[in-house]
Formats: sequence, structure tokens, C-alpha cells
Amino acid sequence: MNLKVGDEIPELVKHPTTRQLVQYAGAQGDFYEIHYDQDYARSIGLPGVILHGLLKAGFLGQLVTDWLGDRGTLKTFEVSYRGLDVPGKPYRCRGKITKVDGRQVELEVWGEDEGGQRTTVGSATVEMAS
Amino acid sequence: MAVASVLERLKVRIGVDRPATSATVEAGHLKRFAEAIGDPNPRWLEEAPPTFLVALAPASYHVPEAEEFGKGWLNGGNRFEYLEPVRVGDQITATTKLADAYEKSGSSGTLLFIIFETEFKNQHGRRVARLRGTAIRR
Repeated sequence: MNLKVGDEIPELVKHPTTRQLVQYAGAQGDFYEIHYDQDYARSIGLPGVILHGLLKAGFLGQLVTDWLGDRGTLKTFEVSYRGLDVPGKPYRCRGKITKVDGRQVELEVWGEDEGGQRTTVGSATVEMAS
Repeated sequence: MAVASVLERLKVRIGVDRPATSATVEAGHLKRFAEAIGDPNPRWLEEAPPTFLVALAPASYHVPEAEEFGKGWLNGGNRFEYLEPVRVGDQITATTKLADAYEKSGSSGTLLFIIFETEFKNQHGRRVARLRGTAIRR
């Protein structure tokens, strides 16, 4: 394993649908109407139903665990939601290595909307197996 | 209602634990959760994926007092710290407290931030994870 600061990890592109939002609402148990009721979402000033922040976190978690596999252990994972994302548009998850200190590796992760805007930003720390 | 009076009522609750909740990690629930994310990794048939704990206890709560301010809720962010893996059959107890509440003014007006912290323990009494969630009222 040869990890270097600045290396990008393989990206993951998701194609969320309204069906997936309902599926995720059920699996997580988050039934806030902004994720499945278009009229309700618009009534509070949203463009329509939006992705759950935690669904986007789930995508970014997959990005990290797909890359990491069984080579190490995830220690921390943090995300901050900066923008709204709607179903029917691709969601591109990316990440790069920001620090390598022995077995400790830090990554910057982010999710981009169709226009390349980073609507979710975050970080992960992993401990590589010796 | 003005943000100041809502904040005043939230602030007295800072540091106070909500009632603990307990749940068993079920194989079917893990499978549905991984399917909902669209993550086909067979590892998640046995082990909890990184964000699964939010399906056992919410990362943040829509506290009724705060709903007197603004129109809706948004999730501001989440931070997970993992201490031990969580697997099928584990009995997880979650304890959540309101950690902070503050207002922020920006171009879109005043926002109310409420921070929650949750600690997850397994059936052996060992801490398996910590979670921080930011709920925004706008």
C-alpha cells in the first residue's frame, strides 16, 4: 500500500430517485415530509423534495468503505451539508488523502451536484492495518 | 416567535439527557438500510455500515419548542466516531443530550442551530460510537 497526500480515491456516482428517498426514509425511520411530499416541501420554500442529508452521508460512507475495504478501520467520519440536492440528478462522491501519519490516514470527502458545486463536505480518518 | 425567546427555552435544556432508547441490530434492518443507500457490499449483511446508527436513534430531534421559530428543519451536519464495530444481534442503547443551541445570521436571515450528542453502548456496556448532529431551524 502506497498512500500519498493529494491522491484521489475512486469516485462514486449515485443516481438518487424519489423512490430511493422513500426507501431511505423507511430504512432510517426519518419521515420528515420534505423528503417525499412535494407540496409540503414547496410550502416551506424548498424547490421540491430534497435528499436526506444522511442519505448523502451514506453515499460518502460507501465511497470511503469501498476504497478502504479490509485494509483498515474507519475511526471518524464527519459531514456538513452546504446545499440542497434533489432526486433525478446525479450525485458525484469524491475524496482525496490529506494526511498520512504512520498508519493514520485522513481524507477529505465531498459530494458534488450536477454543476460541480460541493453540496456536502466532510472528512474521514482511518487506521490502516499493520 | 422571536429567536431569542426560543433560544432561552432551549438553553435550559443543554446537558440534559433524553430518555435512553434501546434496539437490537436486526439482519433485515441492516439489509434494508444498505439497499436504501444502494451499497451492495456483502459486509453489511453482518456489520453496520458507517451511518447505520442513525436508524437506531436519531442524530437530531425536531424539538417542538424550536418549531415556534422559522418554517422548517434542515440537517446541518453529522459527525461519527467509531470505537467498536456494531454487528447483527448487538443490543445498542443510545443516550442523547442537547449539547448546544445558538443563532446565526446570514444572507438568508436568522438560523437557529441545535446540537445533539449521542452515545451508543452495546450489550456489554462498552461504548461503540459517538454521534454529533446539528439540526437547523430556518
